[in-house]
Amino acid sequence: MTTIAATPSLSPARSKGLWMSQTLAMSKRSVLAMVRQPALVIPSLIFPLFFAALGSSSFGRAVRLPNFPKVDNFLDFALAGTIVQGVLFGSVTGGAALATDIEQGFFDRLLTTPTSRVSILVGRLAGAAIFGAFQALFFMVVLLPFGVSIKAGVAGAIVIVLCGGLTAMAIGGFTAAMALKTGSSEAVQGSFPLLFIALFFSSAFFPRQTMQGAYRRIADINPVSHLVEGARGLVTDGFTAGHVAAALLVPAAIGVFSIALAVRTLYSRLAAR
Amino acid sequence: MTSTVTILAGQATGGTLLRSARGLAMRGLRSIRRLPSAFFPALAMPIFQTIAFSGTFFAITKIPGFPTHRSVNWYLPLACCMGSGFGGIGLGFSTVRDIESGFFDRLRMAPAPRLALIIGPLFAVWTRVLIVITAALIVGFLFGARLTGGVVGLLLMYVAGLGVATVAAGWGLGLAYRFGDMRAAALMQLTLLTAIFLSNAQAPLNVMSGWLHAVARINPFTNILRLAREGWLGDVTWNATWGGLVSIVGISALTLAFAYRGLAKLAD
Repeated sequence: MTTIAATPSLSPARSKGLWMSQTLAMSKRSVLAMVRQPALVIPSLIFPLFFAALGSSSFGRAVRLPNFPKVDNFLDFALAGTIVQGVLFGSVTGGAALATDIEQGFFDRLLTTPTSRVSILVGRLAGAAIFGAFQALFFMVVLLPFGVSIKAGVAGAIVIVLCGGLTAMAIGGFTAAMALKTGSSEAVQGSFPLLFIALFFSSAFFPRQTMQGAYRRIADINPVSHLVEGARGLVTDGFTAGHVAAALLVPAAIGVFSIALAVRTLYSRLAAR
Repeated sequence: MTSTVTILAGQATGGTLLRSARGLAMRGLRSIRRLPSAFFPALAMPIFQTIAFSGTFFAITKIPGFPTHRSVNWYLPLACCMGSGFGGIGLGFSTVRDIESGFFDRLRMAPAPRLALIIGPLFAVWTRVLIVITAALIVGFLFGARLTGGVVGLLLMYVAGLGVATVAAGWGLGLAYRFGDMRAAALMQLTLLTAIFLSNAQAPLNVMSGWLHAVARINPFTNILRLAREGWLGDVTWNATWGGLVSIVGISALTLAFAYRGLAKLAD
């Protein structure tokens, strides 16, 4: 009791600085965990590239179909879908890592320290965002020698990298909420099919213009379609305000919702302790 | 006298083999009821794949030279074969669980032929795969799939599915015996997925271009998928059938031998 009364109160500026340093430390830990366990993240880098290569060979002639957006080659079309696909894989890994912290008791140990609760979550999401941005950059660099050309130039590439980071943070919010809710890495991994469904019923792999019926209607309302098409437009059309807005604002909007959900789940978990 | 004893011993071994295999097959089938969470993904995946691929890639049927105008006719057999493959790989997962829990050691100490440890669960895999293919078929028909090769074409798809399941089960068991832990699981899935996708899984050979065409042309899974699809793309012909059958027998023999040798090494 005496101890609590004797705890010095921090000024708002110092408190904010402390929060930032804690968040940075958490982000650094999150990124280092990925670097130190490459087996966890390599599939999220390799598999999207594998599917892009497959798609390029299998569907290369589809670019001449009626209603197919005007592109130089299928890889130009596939790049944005590849990035989002990789980011989805990576976000599940990030969520599962948070769940592993809970399973192994590290999360509880953090809670016994005077660490800001939100910084635990934000640090994890920032780590996911950094990795998502790296994935976007990685996919662009690897695919450039194979004929991908980004019409929007360097500025467009920067927007795509930001889009990758924001998307990772947005999807990471959902997987973090799942991790905090269940405390089970298996449950977080189990959420992967849901993300896969969201990806498949979108225009990530094939244009909406070529879809019909219910598929088209689902793809039309699926935010993943709009997110992918924003980034894709920067690759195939050039730098326009519409493409930039779609590439950045759609994941940002999803992120606001998912992070609010994750924060709420965090406080529910803390209240239940 | 010696030959009589040999024959009797052979009959006794054969009888024991079948009884043991049946017991292990029943154990595998009971796990559907006891552990539905392990069976559900294997059931749901081909259904989802049929629906999602057919809708997403609907337009590829308009590429000149594509052998059908129904995308579901193209993707349903692929989904069934992939579902069957993952059903076979599931045997590898459950074996890893048994090894980790120590139950497999008790099975190995039982006075039953070693071969029963492979044949029994394989029977269970075939039964599960029949359920999976039938479920995917029903959904496929609801989504517009139509047989062009009649009942024989339908049967050939089941044959192809069971063949892929056998190949995958042998591969999964072989890896499970060698690794003995869940590290094998990722390898089982990745290799199967890669082998299937490096074939005519997504597009026919005449529509493909570049490196994939060269790889798919020599990939035996191309023949197996051709076998699975022939009843959905036109008439059933021997030309499109024999390559698939030979591929199934050949790769199954290799992967089952891989499994049997792995089991023998585990015993050592």
